[in-house]
Amino acid sequence: MATTRRLPGPFTRPLRLPGPARLLGSPLAWLFALFSVAVAVWMLLTSLKSTRAIFAEPWSLPADPQWDNYARAWTASDFAGATLNTVVLVFGAAATTIALSAPAAYALSRILTRWNSGLTAFFALGLGIPSQVIVLPLYVMMNALYLVDSLTGMWILYVATSVPFTVFFLTGFFGSLPRELEEAAALDGASPNRTFWQIMLPLARSGIITVMILNVIQHWGETLFGLIFLQSEENATLSLALLGFLQRMQFNGADWGGLFAGVCMVVLPVLACYIWLGRRIIEGMTLGSVK
Amino acid sequence: MTVTAVRETEPALGRAPAPAAQGSPLTRGRRRLFWPFVAPALVLYTVFYILPTLATAWISLNKWAGAGPMEFAGLDNYRRLLLDPIFHDSFANTLTILFVVGGATFALSFLLTMILRDMAGRKAVRSIIFFPNIVSGIVLSILWGFLFQADGVVNQALRAFGVDDPPNWLGADNLFSIIMIGLVWVQTGFYTTILMAAVDRIPKDLYEVCDLEGANAWQRFRHVTLPLVWDVVGVCAVLWSISAIKIFEFIYAFAGAAGQLPPTKVWNTALYAYAEAFAGGVPKYGSAAATGMVMLALVGVLVVLLRRMFRRDPVQF
Repeated sequence: MATTRRLPGPFTRPLRLPGPARLLGSPLAWLFALFSVAVAVWMLLTSLKSTRAIFAEPWSLPADPQWDNYARAWTASDFAGATLNTVVLVFGAAATTIALSAPAAYALSRILTRWNSGLTAFFALGLGIPSQVIVLPLYVMMNALYLVDSLTGMWILYVATSVPFTVFFLTGFFGSLPRELEEAAALDGASPNRTFWQIMLPLARSGIITVMILNVIQHWGETLFGLIFLQSEENATLSLALLGFLQRMQFNGADWGGLFAGVCMVVLPVLACYIWLGRRIIEGMTLGSVK
Repeated sequence: MTVTAVRETEPALGRAPAPAAQGSPLTRGRRRLFWPFVAPALVLYTVFYILPTLATAWISLNKWAGAGPMEFAGLDNYRRLLLDPIFHDSFANTLTILFVVGGATFALSFLLTMILRDMAGRKAVRSIIFFPNIVSGIVLSILWGFLFQADGVVNQALRAFGVDDPPNWLGADNLFSIIMIGLVWVQTGFYTTILMAAVDRIPKDLYEVCDLEGANAWQRFRHVTLPLVWDVVGVCAVLWSISAIKIFEFIYAFAGAAGQLPPTKVWNTALYAYAEAFAGGVPKYGSAAATGMVMLALVGVLVVLLRRMFRRDPVQF
């Protein structure tokens, strides 16, 4: 380019004129972010309004907060039971997934045989198979095993479908741990089995917790398997309870306040988790895409 | 599903053991652990993931109501899909989501990444826009649909600005556009985050050189940023293809009532597959399976094409 107005040197920062794009840019980014915040705040406020107030003054603060929206959602759609089901199912499945995937990932990343790369690729294949492709045979199979409309059945399905991602994630994680510690443990006479359980597994704790959180978040709002494999109301998960509420509204008249109370019950735990562990969740979900 | 890159799987092969160590008792002891460690996960994955995929391929060649005898039908199911106008809409919608929503999401993500590169509060903005990504699709769909109701928030806001006759957002003509905008809103945070991480790794002095050379914003983007994050863009494109084809809850819940499907005009192939098998009437497992295979084929083709498109010598920096 023609003329450089500034010479490179230790004291000259490159000139950064705030051009029009830069001036416009950051308000634009904030606007985009604030939109999400506004939706969340609006959701919370709406959950405390009567249905009439929701439509009459959608922008106002709830004049007299209708806490019984929550009470109604909690009892009418049996969110209590659904919450219990979801908590047990989701945490149980996440723990089982780790118990099965961690040893596999360790072996794939650390015990060299001629099978490693082939099997690692085989597990990664699962990441590309949409769940809609496998539900039909799964339904037939679970039906034959009397596991349709059973939380045990869902547990098995959640574990099985989480395995590919979890193995993939942990293979990368174990691969990045220092090799020397294993060698030291071996020199100290620890058996390979003990080395894994007592040295490597605790070392991989942070990766394991991250992938566990990701599994929990993902299953917390899972709907497709729930719709297909759970039928009775006492087995419903939170998503299904919410859908049930939506459905009942068609017959019992609109209870939008109650519906949004239900929506909040599904979202708030995730939001709390996100505020608490946000960075870890973001890093976990994006790990592997950037070297 | 949570997603992460489907890239070459190399972590396993970091360093080969020294030849001398190959046959030591320790190595042999470790080798003995391999199958006991891998087998449980492998069996579960194969039984509940790979075998069902193969079974779906077989079912797609049969006429079957889920119970009773299967009747071999060859490619009949696929032929039926080709002739079914509802499938045409669904397939077209899937492609539209893939390319239009994908294009908008990527454009917006790039823009945000560039803006956020040296903006105050970038971490806060990133965390906020990432959040919708981890909220259940059902919830997002209910919220999004409610905003656009006839007497909903969006229209009330428009009226306040003097638009007296706002469009019927949830009518048949606009519903799919509303769904697409909603998807862009949800997805952008994820790709922005990935791209930001990649852009952050570009050394600052490259941009300083640009400034010295007098390059404008577009030239900086075109000649520095884009080439250096090209691999990551490729990974994002693969991730998007895989997740776009699976989108289900967000569209499903737009019906406004559970147990009832939204109008067929907004279906994608995922909804079509679900409806054929599980939504009332005689289940048509054969055509549901065929739809599943079409989705799988689409994923496969896209991944192969994208990998080819984005393959090039890695740039060292």
